Amino acid sequence: MAATVSARTVDVYLPIAEVSVNAPLLLALGGLVGFISGLFGIGGGFLMAPVLVFMGIPPAVAVASQANHVVASSTSSVLTYSRAGSVDYRMGAIMAVGGALGALVGVELFRILRLLGQADLVVAVSYLLLLGSIGALTLRESLSTILQRRRGEPARREPARRPLWLYGLPFRMRFPRSGLYISAIPPLALGVFAGILSAIMGVGGGFILVPAMVYVLRMRAAVVVGTSLFQILITTAVTTVLQAGRNQTVDIVLSTLLMIGGVLGAQYGARMSARFRADEMRAALGLLILLVGLQMGLSLFLRPDDPFALAPGGGG
Amino acid sequence: MIPPVPPPPDPPALIQDAVQPPGPIVEVQTPTISAALTNSEIEVDSSYAGAALVLYGAVFNPGTDPVDVVVVVRGPERPVRLVRKVQVAGLWLNSRPVVFEGAPAFYVMASTRPLSEIAGFGVLRRMGVGLDHIRIDAPEEERTVNLYGVRDVVISRLGEDYLEWRRAVIRLKERDGLYRADPEGVRFVDPGLFRAEIVLPPEAPTGEYQAEVWLFQDGRAVAVRRNTIQVRRVGIERWLHNFAFFQPWLYGLVSVLLAALTGWAASRWFRRT
Repeated sequence: MAATVSARTVDVYLPIAEVSVNAPLLLALGGLVGFISGLFGIGGGFLMAPVLVFMGIPPAVAVASQANHVVASSTSSVLTYSRAGSVDYRMGAIMAVGGALGALVGVELFRILRLLGQADLVVAVSYLLLLGSIGALTLRESLSTILQRRRGEPARREPARRPLWLYGLPFRMRFPRSGLYISAIPPLALGVFAGILSAIMGVGGGFILVPAMVYVLRMRAAVVVGTSLFQILITTAVTTVLQAGRNQTVDIVLSTLLMIGGVLGAQYGARMSARFRADEMRAALGLLILLVGLQMGLSLFLRPDDPFALAPGGGG
Repeated sequence: MIPPVPPPPDPPALIQDAVQPPGPIVEVQTPTISAALTNSEIEVDSSYAGAALVLYGAVFNPGTDPVDVVVVVRGPERPVRLVRKVQVAGLWLNSRPVVFEGAPAFYVMASTRPLSEIAGFGVLRRMGVGLDHIRIDAPEEERTVNLYGVRDVVISRLGEDYLEWRRAVIRLKERDGLYRADPEGVRFVDPGLFRAEIVLPPEAPTGEYQAEVWLFQDGRAVAVRRNTIQVRRVGIERWLHNFAFFQPWLYGLVSVLLAALTGWAASRWFRRT
């Protein structure tokens, strides 16, 4: 007698997440996030993690598996940007070293937070503070640029406003492609920070890196996106191996479904990005980041439906 | 005294182990129960979307008093970590997690009537039958006392809140579809012959499940029949799961290489078109 519930053929059982999910939905989600990733030069993880969790995938598995998906979509984008000569590999490598160190710290930190039952809180606060502030800043800056352009005012040029401390630090290096001669410490620190976020929030850290590279390092705009994607590629690759090795939370079936949609989306996104004005893109990205941050942070202020919650890591 | 038991419509074949006594004989036979599952091995493959099992059984020598059948299916024991949301300065934060060392990862109870009509609280509690009576190992620093006339009630450092925490475990598991109680889940399809359907959601873990079929009469359990159900991974599911858990670092490297290859292939393919 038949014992299996008549399965919709599009559903696939994920071996690590141990849930059954709709495969076309995952492909579409991967495609959408990949498109945004290619368009804005971000990993797109900050969008995907909340959606995966909403679909019933355990948060730890969602975070680790999407890191692997980001490896695929960023590889595809980096190759595209690289052909156009818009990746500063020297800058990217230094940031990636920081990213790998940060991922090491972040994966351990996340383990401890999960054991303390505080992972949810840290994730929600991180999303609220980081995405909220960066989204708001990006939106404000890009809107004022757009307004100035509309009014026909000349764009304000402020190349000299690079922070002075960038020059006071030791280990100065030349980054010809970025048009910089600065200390290696700020890009390294930026990489460490992005690496920690990669492990805790399951994001590549592009939403931090891109603005920081634009506004703090004042890199040549043409290389910002490609370089940030290169650093994201390395950081998420390290994160994936660490999550798989330490926590066994990488679901290869999940990440493969996401990445098939993701690489296609990323290609279209990278091509489309040339069609839009940079300031309008930044405004759209800022708005998106702000909304996701507020949405995630909202959970801190709303009375939960149930005063109790099952904490992950209990096997139940 | 007992209605004749017809041959079952489906396997398993039943063996009538007692001949009906002719006429009013003083000899009293104890009621017994027999049960079997349509499928005792469930294979989890890449198209697994849960499973439905049918449990068939028969009651022999029920005597004159009405009988009730209660089916309990328990999944493997797993620890449960539970947190409580507390409001601190306007923010909802998690308390320290409390670990219940062992709780069944899956629990389904099906019966012919609501449990409260079948047997008393104490009987059910001792047997661990029913959602209110699932055996959940309490957190550390526990002690047992007699409470409300029931023996062996566990009191832990959670103190009086213990029941609330315990109920929360059950409520949350119920919400996830892993715990269920169906007071009309067992139906007598013919006198003496009953049937119950057990649905396993895909979230139910793999492992060995225990199916218990209890026969109740006059508020007491008079007979029991136990079966096991194996839920195991097969094929590629099994291979991937073993790879991820037994060679995690290699698995991580392979995942990354596969991802990089996918990205590279897409980029190549797009350049040509």
